[in-house]
Amino acid sequence: MRSHWRRGAALAAALGAALAVGGLALAAGAEPPLRAMRWAPRDADPARAFATQPAECLKPPPTDPAAALSVEIGRAAFRAPVLLGGQAARAGLSCEACHRGGRTNPDFLFPGASGAPGTADVTLSLFSSHRGDGAFNPRPIPDLSGPRMALKVAPADLPAFIHGLITQEFDGPEPPPAVLAGLAAYVRALDPAACPAPGRTPLTVAFLMADARRALAAARGALDQGDRPTARLMIASARARLFLIDERFAALPAEQARLRTADAGLAALQAKVSSGAPDAAAALDRWLAESRPLEARLAARAPQSLFDPKRLAAASNRRLPARPS
Amino acid sequence: MRIFRIVLLAGVFSAAAAGAFASGGGGGGGGGSDMPSTSAPQYDPAAEYAKALNALNTKDYKAAARAAQHVTDAVPKSVDGWKLLATAQAGAENWKGSQRAYEKAVKLAPDDVALHAGLGLALANQKSPKAQDELTWLKTKASACSGDCDAAQLQALTTQVEQAVGGGATPETKPSAALERGSLLFATAAGGDRAYVQAVSLINEKRYDEALKSLDAARAAFGPHPDILTYQGYTWRKMGQLDRAEGYYRQALAIAPNHVGATEYYGELKVERGDLAGARRMLAKLDRVCAYGCAEAETLRRWIDLGGDPGQ
Repeated sequence: MRSHWRRGAALAAALGAALAVGGLALAAGAEPPLRAMRWAPRDADPARAFATQPAECLKPPPTDPAAALSVEIGRAAFRAPVLLGGQAARAGLSCEACHRGGRTNPDFLFPGASGAPGTADVTLSLFSSHRGDGAFNPRPIPDLSGPRMALKVAPADLPAFIHGLITQEFDGPEPPPAVLAGLAAYVRALDPAACPAPGRTPLTVAFLMADARRALAAARGALDQGDRPTARLMIASARARLFLIDERFAALPAEQARLRTADAGLAALQAKVSSGAPDAAAALDRWLAESRPLEARLAARAPQSLFDPKRLAAASNRRLPARPS
Repeated sequence: MRIFRIVLLAGVFSAAAAGAFASGGGGGGGGGSDMPSTSAPQYDPAAEYAKALNALNTKDYKAAARAAQHVTDAVPKSVDGWKLLATAQAGAENWKGSQRAYEKAVKLAPDDVALHAGLGLALANQKSPKAQDELTWLKTKASACSGDCDAAQLQALTTQVEQAVGGGATPETKPSAALERGSLLFATAAGGDRAYVQAVSLINEKRYDEALKSLDAARAAFGPHPDILTYQGYTWRKMGQLDRAEGYYRQALAIAPNHVGATEYYGELKVERGDLAGARRMLAKLDRVCAYGCAEAETLRRWIDLGGDPGQ
């Protein structure tokens, strides 16, 4: 009962956020099984668009530990909706919503903000109290891992550009300096030459848990430097990855309950970090250790969840209108 | 789109009331554990509002009145709910019922010309001399009409009431028909969505008066929807009217107790009033209902940490 209640609350929160931008992301029909489906065309192939994602083209980590940590901080921040503010954050959008795996997103279709799929208007008053230009002018979402020459921002200008994007285009809060530097370092570390051979990566429990652990390792690094705001955001990023697992386990309440418990642990960890509790780092290490058996259990049940492309397709198709004969 | 909105509200209710409905309700004197407050039918006001509008469109006035009554039962301070009920009752030629509903609505929105016109028509159809009072009110309003005032609408409404007072109502101009079209036309769901999105954009542009008008249009389409009420509260708060804002937040939370937007903004209002303990209670609630975290909680946390708007 408790988990059912919490799930309802989470859904209400997530759907409420989506509606805050106008209930736009769904034209009609029932609630989609995955949040990201709200900003995708209804006829997008679910197995391709939501069971896989573009492979990340990330250069090998720098040998300098501080530089490597910076890239990891940026990578986690890139995946955290709370980095952005205003309506975007409330809808659950992160940088990665438009730039999946640090690439582009040909399936991004946010009614009111997109024209054709894969485009977005970033000068909308709907998202921004600073940069609304009164015109609907969606542009193709650039591939951040594409040729450098195709990107309009020079690497040296990235921090200022990203700062404006967070605080002006999306009304987000001032990011901690290490997060801003990390985002620039992450984008610079994306390189077409680093793209792996398979163009797409399957979205699995292991993939998302690995992301969560990387974010927490970045939190640990930030904590070691006494940077509590950055550590807090890193934990928020890990929690957002757990959400992506949770929504795929909607029909498996026992597994969902375990995930909720793990998330509650991260929420408590955030509180410890905020208050400067001396045992925050130890608690973080404990969580990381405990995540392994959790992952194993979830991975074993994944075939019964929406991680299974066929189940995902079936759940998605249920909300599609009947095709005309 | 309307279906999605209803699904949203259902989600909110499932979060709030899962315990109460776990046994399926009922119990009817059979010694069940449900109390009347939990076994009585519960209504989703936005869904009932949509149902009433649909019934009104198909001229099923009795069904419209039943659904509209559920709206006003659930949200007694909803002007739109009372207006819808009054219109449905007029359609069903239950003039007394229409009068009562209009009187409730007028109490909540004393300057709404359409409500006064509706009340005048309901009274006129009962041959009540009080109809003249409404006609006089409308004429006074029309004579002072300038600026933002819609003179044409006011004139049309005044004429309708005048005809009814004079016994001139015909099947073509009977009150129910008049109340369903023209300036009193209830908005469509698509129009409501457009108005809602426009309102959010206008709020971001700090064009609060225009935002309120757009929210009114959205509310006409969707009734007492917690998202719309939340933004009405937000807009009034930005205009410095904290008490009025609080009223809207409380309405939104009465409908959807775990509404994250209303909870966040109500918490911000409490910070503005210096009630940090109250704001912390709102934050604790957000932390409880937002599994995996949410932007609403993080924003309110910043407000509390800084003791004010972090954007200033």
